[in-house]
Amino acid sequence: MSDLEKEKSGTATRKPKKPRPPRQPMPAQAPEDRARNFQEVPYGYTPELAMIEASRCLDCKNPKCVAGCPVNVDIPGFIRLIQQGKFIESARHLKEQNALPAICGRVCPQEEQCEKVCIIGIKNEPVAVGRLERFVADYERNSGAVTIPELPPSTGKRIAVIGAGPAGLTAAGDLVRMGHEVTVFEALQEPGGVLIYVIPEFRLPKEIVKAEVDYLRQMGVNFVMDYVVGRNATIQELLNEEGYHAVFIGSGAGLPAFLRIPGENLVGVYSANEYLTRSNLMKSYLFPKYDTPPIRRQRVAVVGGGNVAMDAARTALRLGGDVHIVYRRAKEQMPARVEEIHHAEEEGVQMKLLTNPKRILGDERHRVTGIECIQMELGEPDDSGRRSPVPVEGSEFVLEVDTVVIAIGNNPNPLIPQTMPDLAVSRWGTIVVDEDTMATTVPGVFAAGDIVSGAATVISAMGQARTAAATINRYVLGEEVTFPPVPEK
Amino acid sequence: MIELTINGRKIQAEPDESILQCALRNGIEIPHLCNHPSLPPYGACRICMVEVEGMRGYPTSCTTPVAPGMEVKTDTPALQELRRNILGLMMLEHPSACLLCGRRDLCDEFRPQAEKVGRTTGCHTCNNKDMCEVRTLSEDLGFCELPVPPLYHHRPIERSDPFIDRDLNLCILCGRCVRVCKHQHGTSIIDFVGRGSVSRIGEAFGRTLLEADCRFCGSCVDVCPTGSLADRYAKWFGQVQDCCETSCIFCDEGCAITVGIDQGKAVMAQAVDEDKPLCVLGRFAVAPFMNGADRLTVPKIRVESVLREVSWQMALTEAAELLKPFKGESFALVFDPAVPEEDRFYFKIFAEKVMGTSHCIAADKDAKGRLAVKLPEDVKAAWLLGDMISAEEAEKLELLILQDAYPSHLMDKAAVVFPAALFTEVSGTWIDGSGKARPLHAVTTPPGQARPDRQIFMDLAAAVNDSSLDDAAPALAEELKAFGEAVLQRRRDTIPPAASDPSLKKEWFRGHELSKLVGGLACLTAEAPEPEPVEIIDEPQVISTPAENFQVVQKREIAPNNHEIVFYVPAVAKKAMAGQFVIVMADEQSERVPYTLCDWDREAGTITLIVQEKGQSSRKLALMKAGDIAAHIVGPLGTPLEMKNYGTVALLGGCYGIGAHIANAKALKEAGNTVVIMIEARSHYLHYYLEELAAVADELIVTTIDGSNGIKGHAIDALLRRLDGGDIIDRAITVGCPFMMKVAALETQDRDLPMMAALNPIMLDGTGMCGACRVTVNGETKFACVDGPFFDAHTIDWDELRDRRNAYSDAELNSLLSTEPVAHAHHHTGGGCGCGRS
Repeated sequence: MSDLEKEKSGTATRKPKKPRPPRQPMPAQAPEDRARNFQEVPYGYTPELAMIEASRCLDCKNPKCVAGCPVNVDIPGFIRLIQQGKFIESARHLKEQNALPAICGRVCPQEEQCEKVCIIGIKNEPVAVGRLERFVADYERNSGAVTIPELPPSTGKRIAVIGAGPAGLTAAGDLVRMGHEVTVFEALQEPGGVLIYVIPEFRLPKEIVKAEVDYLRQMGVNFVMDYVVGRNATIQELLNEEGYHAVFIGSGAGLPAFLRIPGENLVGVYSANEYLTRSNLMKSYLFPKYDTPPIRRQRVAVVGGGNVAMDAARTALRLGGDVHIVYRRAKEQMPARVEEIHHAEEEGVQMKLLTNPKRILGDERHRVTGIECIQMELGEPDDSGRRSPVPVEGSEFVLEVDTVVIAIGNNPNPLIPQTMPDLAVSRWGTIVVDEDTMATTVPGVFAAGDIVSGAATVISAMGQARTAAATINRYVLGEEVTFPPVPEK
Repeated sequence: MIELTINGRKIQAEPDESILQCALRNGIEIPHLCNHPSLPPYGACRICMVEVEGMRGYPTSCTTPVAPGMEVKTDTPALQELRRNILGLMMLEHPSACLLCGRRDLCDEFRPQAEKVGRTTGCHTCNNKDMCEVRTLSEDLGFCELPVPPLYHHRPIERSDPFIDRDLNLCILCGRCVRVCKHQHGTSIIDFVGRGSVSRIGEAFGRTLLEADCRFCGSCVDVCPTGSLADRYAKWFGQVQDCCETSCIFCDEGCAITVGIDQGKAVMAQAVDEDKPLCVLGRFAVAPFMNGADRLTVPKIRVESVLREVSWQMALTEAAELLKPFKGESFALVFDPAVPEEDRFYFKIFAEKVMGTSHCIAADKDAKGRLAVKLPEDVKAAWLLGDMISAEEAEKLELLILQDAYPSHLMDKAAVVFPAALFTEVSGTWIDGSGKARPLHAVTTPPGQARPDRQIFMDLAAAVNDSSLDDAAPALAEELKAFGEAVLQRRRDTIPPAASDPSLKKEWFRGHELSKLVGGLACLTAEAPEPEPVEIIDEPQVISTPAENFQVVQKREIAPNNHEIVFYVPAVAKKAMAGQFVIVMADEQSERVPYTLCDWDREAGTITLIVQEKGQSSRKLALMKAGDIAAHIVGPLGTPLEMKNYGTVALLGGCYGIGAHIANAKALKEAGNTVVIMIEARSHYLHYYLEELAAVADELIVTTIDGSNGIKGHAIDALLRRLDGGDIIDRAITVGCPFMMKVAALETQDRDLPMMAALNPIMLDGTGMCGACRVTVNGETKFACVDGPFFDAHTIDWDELRDRRNAYSDAELNSLLSTEPVAHAHHHTGGGCGCGRS
């Protein structure tokens, strides 16, 4: 029994309370420096810092953090191993529940999940679960001690995973560990989905995604790049002709939404997907070593207030621009993580809040010259309790910019549903599933991630994918799985 | 003085000038071509013919000296007719279709800038479009038809020499290059080779310029009136925005150069005095050296063994902090003597006043400019302005601050790295080898955050509140004045002569080997290995056993600059439908470029694409050989062409669209349609697939812009003729460049003819994820990759499409500035005798 447990159970003699160390910050590049380079912003914990931070964990009997995690990682478990200095063991323990810890440690909104419910967080700042997760994953990778877990004997069942994004990678990792033969189909040239084409290098180094994918490869997952399910083969063909026993759809929300205002097709107006894909996937910031030209402009407006908007704004800064975020509500209502907003502001992104774009202006060569906006004010709260913005009459003004990035979200990619009539979709285009099992209306077909929930977070996609993988396992091994009926129109 | 009459005007002439010189001097324009002001008259092209009272025939004004009382007429109808005929004959061997095009004005309006390509087959894709003398002349003379179909020599672009690209298919044999070479160097590296219709410019015995001992002064490029000879680096910039004079300080000569500038960047450098050529460094190395991709652009400091990019403020503070313990003789400042005088002045003050050391060392250099410095024993910290000490020497130092323009091995040891500006980016005074002063002007902008050398020292002094380098401080002002006077006394007021020996002299600059930083120079050093030739193969090639996915099984240049590539991609071949496309990446660094599926073989698992060499990524594809494997091919993408029996369908094709109609025609025929294919090209030699198209269509109509084959005009002209002739066409489908499709749409706007156009905007993923391919059709936004590629041609916003396609043209040009193109040759399978004829 540890001292802490003794203390809690009352068997220990009361000692004077040791002062708890404060939450440890991560060493990071200074804002004025990092705002112009693509290197990762925080350097990560050193082992010493990690152990100090880990020592803050109470190792609660009934850990709320585990319940707060969409994939129910044994958080006190892996932190306990850090306390003991067993970093490699900690990483392996973590990987039993989470195939992509180095990624989740960086991009999960922990403040909304595990850290939000941390007991210490009631009075002090919560344990930095995300930073610790990142630390052990990096430690294991950098020490070259990554080992492949022992896999069960092959079940002989073949599973097709569509999309190599967070959902697909998680499902593939789970399924291969259950002994199935897994093939991941990806339309782009590299696996990773949003992890490689949207999330920038300075937030998630691509090397890490590559390492996590290599880990899956080593476990036996087969990756087929440049393959568009819906074009090269339909799902029915995968099931009926190609011999797959089940199909998992994790094709994501890859259809950018636009504002539908005049001037949106001018040269210099980009969807956040395009803007970020050019920089991240096509490595245009390394142009001309890479052939894709970058978008180096002077004044950039990013429309939107989510994480992707922050990514686009911070990328624009690094490409050498003066950057404004144009958002129609107040800062408190921005859907982006507080940390991301903070980072963006620190680096010099200027916020134009309660500002709504009306039209984009261009010159005779169809090049953007400005964006006309109108000032908004918060009106009465609506049904959802959010105070919706209303325009202030006559407050129009022009923000002079040469680039506009539209980051107002994505809709589900329609390609797969279009080529599969039996697959029921909602009126927003998302695939209809039984949320307990992630089974779709087509027997043998399961789905998770943004194609089910619309644009959401990496970790929620992973949580759903984990559920789906468990159901697929039961399904291919012959257990009864109910597939929801096609809803009445 | 002599008096003569030109066009009835009495004119005073110098005794030994020609009629042409005299006329031009007096503002009387006589069209001329082979004549060049810096060359002796030659009389080859005969365009400058005039009529002289009492003289037989039509003497050439460039070679006829003036004589007292001469009566000259320069512009009679007979002369005009003769000149037009001469030009017409000349244009038979020059891709001249654009000069004859009936829609030339529309074309220039729709796309004023030349598009870059591999082989040029018209003005629109010519690097010389803005400056072309032939183009101007043809306008002046009202050139409007060719006597017989033109001849295209199918000569390979010669790219095996450093710095110069030669496309002799554009050459009009004016001989200017041959003459300038002889005039300036006394010997002819290049001359006329062969006779009659196969004569061309070249080197004796089929050698390359390099093998023929060319010094690469670039004079031949500078005098060429067409796009045949091009400075590879500056090729696609067209008319540069600005030209500014400064001095080249690669070696001790300090030649005066004119730098051609585009958006603050050096594009090219030429001799100020046309008659005195520069050496290869001055002419061809200045721009690539200034714009190298590896230039240091951001200050860096070492954080836990890694150099990290930081702000100037932080780097200066860090350097100041690190320097603190080394004040006095333990510090040394070492620089390449190739710096402006002003820099030396500030270096010295910095060393003496700020650091309190006497070690302000101008590194010794050998004749080639290689630096070697042995630091004094007591030095523990050094600030180096270049790569000038050995690794062992560096290892001994306790602190190394590096200030340089390019990375070197010293970066491994440096605690702080400052990015420095180079000589076209700084102002000052340069003392040449003979001790005379030459002006340096900051004519270009330093890349990124790089700063001039002396500025960095001034900034550091300011960061530690030391006023020693403060211009405004009285002590320094006094010294500056004295210094300025000393320099002024040495200043020359005439333009200095150009290099006395235009052969490569200095091989090192600031401790960097120039040939490592300016690709082409490597070819000039004797010991350099032959560059691996990268070949575009003209001959059809086939591999027998397709084994791997994405492998090229067949490849040939099917028409100039159009490459037919057959790839083995079973996953695409299995599902391909007419009208769909694939996205190809030749290698991992390529752009994702869409190409229309021209044909496929489901059994063999192959697809056929027509690739035009345009930019970097398509060039990589054009360079592929049978057996090579592309990095990625994904498809089939896009919505297939809607198939039903429309009745009679006209397929209009141009460029790659000619190939695209093979698949469309096959499918439409199968659906029961009558298919008429109408294809266009600038000239007869640009048509391809004539037999293949005739085999899959009910009728094939051929059009050419210059009228050399079939109907004169565009494909749309063939269609309009049919419609006007009362034929029923139920539907038209047009595939080609936006200009061709726009014209087709415009000219059928008022007719009751449904027309579909296959759009080809820039794409990224091709699956609807990014929206790069947005087009406006009927006022609505569509994604060409998933909603298209086919849209109603009459409702497309063509100008928007054009501008969106050109969104990156500036950036692409700038990429040429920082990538030294690989020297590579078209491999030409000629007759073996070396005559160049196939």
